[in-house]
Amino acid sequence: MTKKVKSTEAVTHESFVLPFNVVTKVEVSRLVTEVERVDNAMTAEAVRKKAGSHEASLPVLSQQLNDFLSQNSLVLEDSRQRSALIKQLRQLKDTVPVLHMTFSVTADRQSLEKLAQWVRKSVHPQAVIDVGLQPGLVAGVYLRTPNHVHDLSLRKMLDGSRQILTKELEALRGTK
Amino acid sequence: MGIFQHKKQDDKSPQDQATDAVTALIDENFQTELLAFGRNYFENILHEAGALFKQDLNTTIGQVNVQLQDHVTKQLDVAVAQVNAELKNHVTKQIEGQFAAYNKEMKDAQELALKSLTDNSEQLQAEYNDLRSMLQKNVADQKVTLTNVFEENKVRIAQMKEAQDLALQSLNDSAEALKTQYAEINDTLQKNVAHQEEVLVSAFESNMGQIIEHYLLGALGDQYDLKAQLPSIIKQMEENKQAIVDDMKL
Repeated sequence: MTKKVKSTEAVTHESFVLPFNVVTKVEVSRLVTEVERVDNAMTAEAVRKKAGSHEASLPVLSQQLNDFLSQNSLVLEDSRQRSALIKQLRQLKDTVPVLHMTFSVTADRQSLEKLAQWVRKSVHPQAVIDVGLQPGLVAGVYLRTPNHVHDLSLRKMLDGSRQILTKELEALRGTK
Repeated sequence: MGIFQHKKQDDKSPQDQATDAVTALIDENFQTELLAFGRNYFENILHEAGALFKQDLNTTIGQVNVQLQDHVTKQLDVAVAQVNAELKNHVTKQIEGQFAAYNKEMKDAQELALKSLTDNSEQLQAEYNDLRSMLQKNVADQKVTLTNVFEENKVRIAQMKEAQDLALQSLNDSAEALKTQYAEINDTLQKNVAHQEEVLVSAFESNMGQIIEHYLLGALGDQYDLKAQLPSIIKQMEENKQAIVDDMKL
Protein backbone atom coordinates (compact mmCIF):
# COMPACT_ATOMS: atom_id res chain seq x y z
CA MET A 1 0.00 0.00 0.00
CA THR A 2 1.51 3.21 -1.09
CA LYS A 3 0.89 6.28 0.97
CA LYS A 4 0.49 9.58 -0.80
CA VAL A 5 2.52 12.13 1.02
CA LYS A 6 1.67 15.78 0.89
CA SER A 7 4.29 18.43 0.75
CA THR A 8 4.28 20.25 4.06
CA GLU A 9 5.11 23.48 2.38
CA ALA A 10 1.89 23.28 0.38
CA VAL A 11 -0.52 22.71 3.33
CA THR A 12 -1.75 25.34 5.71
CA HIS A 13 -2.99 25.02 9.23
CA GLU A 14 -6.57 25.69 8.09
CA SER A 15 -6.54 22.41 6.17
CA PHE A 16 -5.17 20.30 9.00
CA VAL A 17 -7.26 17.46 10.19
CA LEU A 18 -6.99 16.84 13.92
CA PRO A 19 -7.27 13.22 14.99
CA PHE A 20 -9.93 12.43 17.55
CA ASN A 21 -7.37 11.55 20.17
CA VAL A 22 -6.16 15.14 20.09
CA VAL A 23 -8.95 16.59 22.14
CA THR A 24 -7.68 19.66 23.95
CA LYS A 25 -5.66 22.74 23.10
CA VAL A 26 -2.95 21.47 25.41
CA GLU A 27 -2.59 18.41 23.27
CA VAL A 28 -2.25 20.62 20.20
CA SER A 29 0.53 22.41 22.03
CA ARG A 30 2.10 19.07 22.78
CA LEU A 31 2.02 18.29 19.09
CA VAL A 32 3.94 21.48 18.40
CA THR A 33 6.45 20.68 21.14
CA GLU A 34 6.87 17.14 19.94
CA VAL A 35 7.43 18.16 16.30
CA GLU A 36 9.99 20.69 17.51
CA ARG A 37 11.71 17.99 19.55
CA VAL A 38 11.67 15.60 16.57
CA ASP A 39 12.99 18.34 14.32
CA ASN A 40 15.86 19.00 16.72
CA ALA A 41 16.61 15.33 17.01
CA MET A 42 16.55 14.71 13.26
CA THR A 43 18.68 17.80 12.62
CA ALA A 44 21.21 16.55 15.13
CA GLU A 45 21.07 13.13 13.54
CA ALA A 46 21.74 14.65 10.14
CA VAL A 47 24.70 16.53 11.53
CA ARG A 48 26.05 13.39 13.12
CA LYS A 49 25.47 11.53 9.86
CA LYS A 50 27.48 14.12 7.99
CA ALA A 51 30.17 13.77 10.59
CA GLY A 52 30.44 10.08 9.80
CA SER A 53 28.41 8.53 12.53
CA HIS A 54 26.38 5.62 11.29
CA GLU A 55 24.25 5.11 14.33
CA ALA A 56 20.75 6.25 13.51
CA SER A 57 18.48 6.86 16.47
CA LEU A 58 15.24 8.37 15.29
CA PRO A 59 12.96 9.63 18.08
CA VAL A 60 9.86 7.67 19.01
CA LEU A 61 6.67 9.50 18.05
CA SER A 62 3.56 9.59 20.16
CA GLN A 63 0.32 8.02 19.02
CA GLN A 64 -1.29 11.42 18.65
CA LEU A 65 1.53 12.74 16.43
CA ASN A 66 1.53 9.55 14.37
CA ASP A 67 -2.24 9.87 13.89
CA PHE A 68 -1.90 13.52 12.99
CA LEU A 69 0.83 12.86 10.45
CA SER A 70 -1.07 9.90 9.07
CA GLN A 71 -4.43 11.64 8.74
CA ASN A 72 -2.82 14.66 7.13
CA SER A 73 -0.43 12.54 4.94
CA LEU A 74 2.62 14.29 6.24
CA VAL A 75 6.22 13.17 6.71
CA LEU A 76 9.02 14.64 8.71
CA GLU A 77 11.97 13.65 6.56
CA ASP A 78 12.87 17.01 5.20
CA SER A 79 14.13 19.74 7.45
CA ARG A 80 12.32 22.51 5.57
CA GLN A 81 9.07 20.58 5.72
CA ARG A 82 9.47 20.15 9.45
CA SER A 83 10.06 23.85 9.86
CA ALA A 84 7.00 24.64 7.79
CA LEU A 85 4.98 22.13 9.81
CA ILE A 86 6.11 23.65 13.04
CA LYS A 87 5.11 27.07 11.80
CA GLN A 88 1.69 25.88 10.70
CA LEU A 89 1.13 23.95 13.90
CA ARG A 90 1.91 27.04 15.93
CA GLN A 91 -0.59 28.99 13.91
CA LEU A 92 -3.08 26.16 14.39
CA LYS A 93 -2.53 26.28 18.12
CA ASP A 94 -3.23 29.99 18.14
CA THR A 95 -6.31 29.87 15.93
CA VAL A 96 -7.95 26.61 16.83
CA PRO A 97 -11.57 27.09 18.04
CA VAL A 98 -12.05 26.16 21.66
CA LEU A 99 -15.19 24.95 23.38
CA HIS A 100 -15.08 25.06 27.14
CA MET A 101 -16.98 22.10 28.48
CA THR A 102 -17.49 21.69 32.21
CA PHE A 103 -18.73 18.38 33.56
CA SER A 104 -20.00 17.25 36.93
CA VAL A 105 -17.62 14.27 37.02
CA THR A 106 -14.12 13.62 35.81
CA ALA A 107 -14.12 13.15 32.08
CA ASP A 108 -12.68 9.86 30.85
CA ARG A 109 -10.55 9.74 27.72
CA GLN A 110 -12.98 7.74 25.68
CA SER A 111 -15.90 10.06 26.33
CA LEU A 112 -13.76 13.08 25.49
CA GLU A 113 -12.75 11.56 22.19
CA LYS A 114 -16.41 10.87 21.37
CA LEU A 115 -17.30 14.43 22.23
CA ALA A 116 -14.39 15.73 20.11
CA GLN A 117 -15.62 13.60 17.28
CA TRP A 118 -19.10 15.07 17.51
CA VAL A 119 -17.76 18.62 17.83
CA ARG A 120 -15.51 18.32 14.81
CA LYS A 121 -18.25 16.71 12.81
CA SER A 122 -21.02 19.08 13.82
CA VAL A 123 -19.41 22.39 14.80
CA HIS A 124 -15.89 22.85 13.41
CA PRO A 125 -13.40 20.33 12.05
CA GLN A 126 -10.53 21.76 14.08
CA ALA A 127 -12.41 22.52 17.28
CA VAL A 128 -10.82 21.44 20.55
CA ILE A 129 -12.26 21.10 24.02
CA ASP A 130 -11.15 22.80 27.21
CA VAL A 131 -12.35 20.50 29.99
CA GLY A 132 -13.52 21.69 33.40
CA LEU A 133 -15.01 20.06 36.49
CA GLN A 134 -17.87 21.35 38.64
CA PRO A 135 -19.68 18.73 40.75
CA GLY A 136 -22.50 21.16 41.42
CA LEU A 137 -23.80 20.63 37.95
CA VAL A 138 -24.94 17.15 39.06
CA ALA A 139 -25.13 15.92 35.49
CA GLY A 140 -24.92 17.26 31.94
CA VAL A 141 -22.50 19.83 30.62
CA TYR A 142 -21.88 23.53 30.98
CA LEU A 143 -20.80 24.61 27.49
CA ARG A 144 -19.10 27.95 26.87
CA THR A 145 -18.43 29.17 23.36
CA PRO A 146 -16.54 32.39 22.63
CA ASN A 147 -19.67 34.53 22.99
CA HIS A 148 -22.31 32.38 24.61
CA VAL A 149 -22.96 30.03 27.47
CA HIS A 150 -25.09 26.94 27.11
CA ASP A 151 -26.03 25.47 30.45
CA LEU A 152 -27.08 21.95 29.63
CA SER A 153 -26.74 20.69 33.20
CA LEU A 154 -29.32 18.92 35.33
CA ARG A 155 -29.17 21.77 37.85
CA LYS A 156 -30.29 24.18 35.17
CA MET A 157 -33.07 21.87 34.19
CA LEU A 158 -34.23 21.65 37.77
CA ASP A 159 -34.02 25.43 38.11
CA GLY A 160 -36.31 25.75 35.15
CA SER A 161 -38.68 23.25 36.63
CA ARG A 162 -38.83 24.85 40.06
CA GLN A 163 -41.96 26.79 39.18
CA ILE A 164 -43.68 23.52 38.57
CA LEU A 165 -42.68 22.33 42.03
CA THR A 166 -43.86 25.59 43.59
CA LYS A 167 -47.18 25.37 41.80
CA GLU A 168 -47.58 21.88 43.08
CA LEU A 169 -46.94 23.10 46.63
CA GLU A 170 -49.39 25.96 46.19
CA ALA A 171 -51.96 23.55 44.95
CA LEU A 172 -51.25 21.36 47.95
CA ARG A 173 -51.71 24.35 50.28
CA GLY A 174 -54.92 25.29 48.51
CA THR A 175 -56.37 21.91 49.10
CA LYS A 176 -55.67 22.21 52.83
CA MET B 1 -43.33 47.80 234.01
CA GLY B 2 -40.19 48.72 235.76
CA ILE B 3 -38.30 49.94 232.84
CA PHE B 4 -39.14 53.62 233.23
CA GLN B 5 -39.38 53.51 237.09
CA HIS B 6 -37.09 55.54 239.13
CA LYS B 7 -34.11 53.44 240.13
CA LYS B 8 -32.74 53.12 243.55
CA GLN B 9 -29.44 54.62 244.32
CA ASP B 10 -26.82 51.95 245.30
CA ASP B 11 -23.23 51.53 245.03
CA LYS B 12 -23.14 50.09 241.80
CA SER B 13 -22.99 52.00 238.78
CA PRO B 14 -26.32 52.77 237.25
CA GLN B 15 -25.44 50.75 234.32
CA ASP B 16 -24.52 47.82 236.45
CA GLN B 17 -27.50 48.35 238.46
CA ALA B 18 -29.62 48.47 235.40
CA THR B 19 -28.03 45.42 234.18
CA ASP B 20 -28.59 43.67 237.30
CA ALA B 21 -32.10 44.84 237.54
CA VAL B 22 -32.76 43.84 234.06
CA THR B 23 -31.18 40.56 234.65
CA ALA B 24 -33.20 40.15 237.70
CA LEU B 25 -36.41 41.29 236.25
CA ILE B 26 -36.15 40.17 232.81
CA ASP B 27 -35.24 36.65 232.16
CA GLU B 28 -34.06 35.44 228.90
CA ASN B 29 -37.51 34.54 227.45
CA PHE B 30 -38.94 37.78 228.60
CA GLN B 31 -36.05 39.48 226.95
CA THR B 32 -36.68 37.63 223.81
CA GLU B 33 -40.34 38.48 223.93
CA LEU B 34 -39.56 41.99 224.85
CA LEU B 35 -37.05 42.28 222.16
CA ALA B 36 -39.53 41.00 219.67
CA PHE B 37 -42.20 43.27 221.06
CA GLY B 38 -39.85 46.17 221.03
CA ARG B 39 -38.75 45.41 217.63
CA ASN B 40 -42.30 45.28 216.34
CA TYR B 41 -43.19 48.34 218.27
CA PHE B 42 -40.27 50.27 216.94
CA GLU B 43 -40.87 48.95 213.55
CA ASN B 44 -44.42 50.19 213.67
CA ILE B 45 -43.32 53.47 215.12
CA LEU B 46 -40.72 53.76 212.39
CA HIS B 47 -43.24 52.87 209.75
CA GLU B 48 -45.72 55.37 210.97
CA ALA B 49 -43.09 57.99 211.49
CA GLY B 50 -41.65 57.21 208.12
CA ALA B 51 -45.04 57.44 206.55
CA LEU B 52 -45.75 60.69 208.30
CA PHE B 53 -42.36 61.97 207.48
CA LYS B 54 -42.76 60.88 203.94
CA GLN B 55 -46.12 62.57 203.79
CA ASP B 56 -44.78 65.70 205.34
CA LEU B 57 -41.80 65.58 203.16
CA ASN B 58 -43.93 65.15 200.09
CA THR B 59 -46.12 67.99 201.20
CA THR B 60 -43.11 70.10 201.94
CA ILE B 61 -41.52 69.19 198.67
CA GLY B 62 -44.71 70.04 196.87
CA GLN B 63 -44.93 73.39 198.59
CA VAL B 64 -41.27 74.00 198.01
CA ASN B 65 -41.73 73.06 194.44
CA VAL B 66 -44.68 75.39 194.06
CA GLN B 67 -42.88 78.17 195.73
CA LEU B 68 -39.71 77.46 193.90
CA GLN B 69 -41.65 77.33 190.69
CA ASP B 70 -43.32 80.60 191.42
CA HIS B 71 -40.07 82.16 192.39
CA VAL B 72 -38.23 80.79 189.42
CA THR B 73 -41.07 81.84 187.16
CA LYS B 74 -41.01 85.29 188.55
CA GLN B 75 -37.25 85.48 188.28
CA LEU B 76 -37.35 84.10 184.80
CA ASP B 77 -40.10 86.46 183.74
CA VAL B 78 -38.11 89.35 185.03
CA ALA B 79 -34.93 88.07 183.46
CA VAL B 80 -36.65 87.30 180.23
CA ALA B 81 -38.30 90.68 180.15
CA GLN B 82 -34.99 92.31 180.83
CA VAL B 83 -33.21 90.16 178.27
CA ASN B 84 -35.96 90.87 175.81
CA ALA B 85 -35.72 94.54 176.34
CA GLU B 86 -31.97 94.51 176.02
CA LEU B 87 -32.07 92.20 173.10
CA LYS B 88 -34.72 94.32 171.44
CA ASN B 89 -32.68 97.39 171.92
CA HIS B 90 -29.54 95.73 170.66
CA VAL B 91 -31.25 94.14 167.74
CA THR B 92 -32.99 97.37 166.91
CA LYS B 93 -29.71 99.18 166.97
CA GLN B 94 -28.01 96.52 164.88
CA ILE B 95 -30.84 96.40 162.40
CA GLU B 96 -31.00 100.12 162.13
CA GLY B 97 -27.24 100.24 161.54
CA GLN B 98 -27.39 97.53 159.00
CA PHE B 99 -30.43 99.07 157.41
CA ALA B 100 -28.60 102.31 157.10
CA ALA B 101 -25.62 100.59 155.56
CA TYR B 102 -27.83 98.57 153.32
CA ASN B 103 -29.78 101.62 152.32
CA LYS B 104 -26.61 103.43 151.52
CA GLU B 105 -25.22 100.57 149.49
CA MET B 106 -28.54 100.03 147.82
CA LYS B 107 -28.76 103.66 147.02
CA ASP B 108 -25.28 103.55 145.54
CA ALA B 109 -26.09 100.44 143.63
CA GLN B 110 -29.31 101.91 142.42
CA GLU B 111 -27.57 105.03 141.36
CA LEU B 112 -24.91 102.95 139.63
CA ALA B 113 -27.50 100.73 138.01
CA LEU B 114 -29.51 103.75 137.04
CA LYS B 115 -26.46 105.30 135.54
CA SER B 116 -25.63 102.10 133.72
CA LEU B 117 -29.18 101.75 132.59
CA THR B 118 -29.15 105.32 131.42
CA ASP B 119 -25.93 104.71 129.51
CA ASN B 120 -27.21 101.49 128.05
CA SER B 121 -30.45 103.13 127.21
CA GLU B 122 -28.66 105.89 125.38
CA GLN B 123 -26.46 103.37 123.61
CA LEU B 124 -29.44 101.24 122.78
CA GLN B 125 -31.24 104.31 121.58
CA ALA B 126 -28.31 105.14 119.32
CA GLU B 127 -28.07 101.57 118.06
CA TYR B 128 -31.78 101.49 117.65
CA ASN B 129 -31.61 104.63 115.60
CA ASP B 130 -28.80 103.20 113.52
CA LEU B 131 -30.59 99.91 113.07
CA ARG B 132 -33.79 101.68 112.24
CA SER B 133 -32.04 103.75 109.63
CA MET B 134 -30.32 100.69 108.25
CA LEU B 135 -33.50 98.70 108.36
CA GLN B 136 -35.38 101.44 106.62
CA LYS B 137 -32.69 101.60 104.01
CA ASN B 138 -32.68 97.83 103.62
CA VAL B 139 -36.42 97.76 103.48
CA ALA B 140 -36.34 100.38 100.78
CA ASP B 141 -33.68 98.45 98.87
CA GLN B 142 -35.54 95.20 99.34
CA LYS B 143 -38.71 96.86 98.23
CA VAL B 144 -37.01 98.05 95.07
CA THR B 145 -35.40 94.66 94.53
CA LEU B 146 -38.59 92.81 95.23
CA THR B 147 -40.45 95.11 92.95
CA ASN B 148 -37.94 94.41 90.19
CA VAL B 149 -37.97 90.69 90.89
CA PHE B 150 -41.72 90.71 91.00
CA GLU B 151 -41.85 92.47 87.66
CA GLU B 152 -39.31 90.07 86.20
CA ASN B 153 -41.13 87.09 87.64
CA LYS B 154 -44.35 88.47 86.35
CA VAL B 155 -42.88 88.60 82.88
CA ARG B 156 -41.36 85.16 83.30
CA ILE B 157 -44.57 83.71 84.60
CA ALA B 158 -46.36 85.17 81.64
CA GLN B 159 -43.73 83.71 79.33
CA MET B 160 -43.87 80.39 81.16
CA LYS B 161 -47.62 80.35 80.93
CA GLU B 162 -47.35 81.08 77.26
CA ALA B 163 -44.74 78.33 76.87
CA GLN B 164 -46.94 75.96 78.84
CA ASP B 165 -49.84 76.80 76.60
CA LEU B 166 -47.66 76.18 73.58
CA ALA B 167 -46.35 72.95 75.07
CA LEU B 168 -49.86 71.88 75.92
CA GLN B 169 -50.97 72.69 72.43
CA SER B 170 -47.95 70.84 71.06
CA LEU B 171 -48.72 67.87 73.29
CA ASN B 172 -52.30 67.87 72.16
CA ASP B 173 -51.17 68.06 68.56
CA SER B 174 -48.62 65.33 69.21
CA ALA B 175 -51.25 63.20 70.86
CA GLU B 176 -53.53 63.69 67.88
CA ALA B 177 -50.66 62.98 65.53
CA LEU B 178 -49.71 59.92 67.55
CA LYS B 179 -53.28 58.77 67.48
CA THR B 180 -53.37 59.21 63.75
CA GLN B 181 -49.97 57.57 63.37
CA TYR B 182 -51.07 54.75 65.61
CA ALA B 183 -54.09 54.16 63.44
CA GLU B 184 -51.94 54.35 60.30
CA ILE B 185 -49.29 52.10 61.82
CA ASN B 186 -51.96 49.70 62.90
CA ASP B 187 -53.33 49.57 59.37
CA THR B 188 -49.85 49.33 57.90
CA LEU B 189 -48.90 46.67 60.40
CA GLN B 190 -51.92 44.61 59.60
CA LYS B 191 -51.21 44.97 55.91
CA ASN B 192 -47.56 44.15 56.47
CA VAL B 193 -48.45 41.15 58.57
CA ALA B 194 -50.70 39.89 55.84
CA HIS B 195 -48.01 40.67 53.26
CA GLN B 196 -45.31 39.04 55.35
CA GLU B 197 -47.49 36.03 55.78
CA GLU B 198 -47.90 35.84 52.05
CA VAL B 199 -44.15 36.36 51.54
CA LEU B 200 -43.29 33.76 54.14
CA VAL B 201 -45.64 31.27 52.59
CA SER B 202 -44.18 32.02 49.17
CA ALA B 203 -40.65 31.77 50.55
CA PHE B 204 -41.55 28.54 52.25
CA GLU B 205 -42.89 27.15 49.02
CA SER B 206 -39.84 28.38 47.13
CA ASN B 207 -37.48 27.05 49.77
CA MET B 208 -39.36 23.82 49.89
CA GLY B 209 -38.86 23.62 46.12
CA GLN B 210 -35.15 24.28 46.65
CA ILE B 211 -35.00 21.70 49.39
CA ILE B 212 -36.62 19.08 47.21
CA GLU B 213 -34.36 20.10 44.36
CA HIS B 214 -31.30 19.93 46.60
CA TYR B 215 -32.39 16.52 47.75
CA LEU B 216 -32.80 15.37 44.17
CA LEU B 217 -29.41 16.80 43.21
CA GLY B 218 -27.74 15.15 46.20
CA ALA B 219 -29.47 11.90 45.48
CA LEU B 220 -28.71 11.86 41.77
CA GLY B 221 -25.33 13.65 41.79
CA ASP B 222 -23.02 10.68 42.00
CA GLN B 223 -25.16 8.21 40.14
CA TYR B 224 -23.91 8.83 36.60
CA ASP B 225 -20.42 8.96 35.12
CA LEU B 226 -19.64 10.80 31.91
CA LYS B 227 -20.13 7.71 29.79
CA ALA B 228 -23.65 7.34 31.07
CA GLN B 229 -24.31 11.02 30.54
CA LEU B 230 -22.73 11.15 27.09
CA PRO B 231 -25.85 10.28 25.05
CA SER B 232 -27.88 12.86 26.89
CA ILE B 233 -25.11 15.47 26.50
CA ILE B 234 -24.75 14.84 22.80
CA LYS B 235 -28.50 14.97 22.43
CA GLN B 236 -28.69 18.32 24.13
CA MET B 237 -25.76 19.65 22.11
CA GLU B 238 -27.50 18.48 19.00
CA GLU B 239 -30.53 20.50 20.06
CA ASN B 240 -28.31 23.57 20.51
CA LYS B 241 -26.05 22.76 17.61
CA GLN B 242 -27.07 25.65 15.42
CA ALA B 243 -26.50 28.20 18.12
CA ILE B 244 -23.09 26.73 18.89
CA VAL B 245 -22.07 26.70 15.26
CA ASP B 246 -23.26 30.26 14.77
CA ASP B 247 -21.31 31.43 17.76
CA MET B 248 -18.14 29.64 16.61
CA LYS B 249 -18.39 31.32 13.23
CA LEU B 250 -18.56 34.78 14.67
